[in-house]
Amino acid sequence: MMNHQHLAVPSVPVQSWGLLYGKEEALRAGTIFQDLNLPFFAAEEAGRADGPLGEAGKDPLLEIQQISFLLDDLRLYLDTHPEDPDGLALFQRAVTERKQKLLEFSSSFYPLTPDSMCGETENPVSPARFSWQEGPAPWEGGCV
Amino acid sequence: MWIYEKRLQYPVRITKTCPKTAQLIISQYGGPDGELSASMRYLSQRYTMPSKAVGGLLTDIGTEELAHMEIICAMVYQLTKHLTVEEAKTAGFDAYYIDHTAGIWPQAASSLPFSAVEFQSKGDAITDLTEDLAAEQKARTVYDNLLRMIQDPEVREPLKFLRTREIVHFQRFGEALEKTKEQLNAKNLYYFNPEFDKTFTV
Repeated sequence: MMNHQHLAVPSVPVQSWGLLYGKEEALRAGTIFQDLNLPFFAAEEAGRADGPLGEAGKDPLLEIQQISFLLDDLRLYLDTHPEDPDGLALFQRAVTERKQKLLEFSSSFYPLTPDSMCGETENPVSPARFSWQEGPAPWEGGCV
Repeated sequence: MWIYEKRLQYPVRITKTCPKTAQLIISQYGGPDGELSASMRYLSQRYTMPSKAVGGLLTDIGTEELAHMEIICAMVYQLTKHLTVEEAKTAGFDAYYIDHTAGIWPQAASSLPFSAVEFQSKGDAITDLTEDLAAEQKARTVYDNLLRMIQDPEVREPLKFLRTREIVHFQRFGEALEKTKEQLNAKNLYYFNPEFDKTFTV
């Protein structure tokens, strides 16, 4: 993408692919891109703040939030960089991982999407009951 | 078409009732620079964008803003879930309580109701993308102001996440504007409106 300089119009440099955060750190920071993490001085806590992010190993919903957020941020990057090979490779890996995690969560707890009630295309299951309404409402703050 | 996914984009677990904090952060639900306003702005502007890729970006960011609206609403809900009338009185939440009890309603911190007057869909790609850049900055400033005032880490962590999203969206809208410029008259970007003067665009 060319970045022509013009008078009388805003100009923002186009981002280049750079260092990424791991999934856990990315959700904490609000971006997967280290270059775009520009914190406010009044938001810099000494030590790790006591927020709502627990440990991924103990919270299966958090693992889905982490991989899904990686995809949310990456999708916007690919919207403006549709041919970036690093971005496309990561996208493919993350989509596969997210699909798998959604199915695992659905079979252990409750479905997060209507589709995940019926398993994979190659190995579909007929749900024993309509479980779409099961599980806590997302705004209640619970997990499983 | 939209499909609901039964989870928040970022977890919200607030254990302390605080109607005062709820009254401040509700601005990011129904206030002039809030998430609802952001979502409606982008989802309204996308139809007439001359670049399909920019229309697609507006769809994706407008969709993410709906998820941010849900995070803010979850925070207001958890901050007022166990509200007593006495707490509503002492925290200055009494006027909201009279109108809505502990229901979630889109308003600004100043109690101004949500309104489409707070955003534009102007039908000109440069104008709309410039508004979108400004909108992300205004929302970031609101998060900065909230982070100066609110001390509870259970509230601050989601606010910090949402603040970073404003910066990322600004970057993407900037890139969308660069892309839009490529489709304009290189000598005079204002020679025609790419959304309306279709004789100039392929």
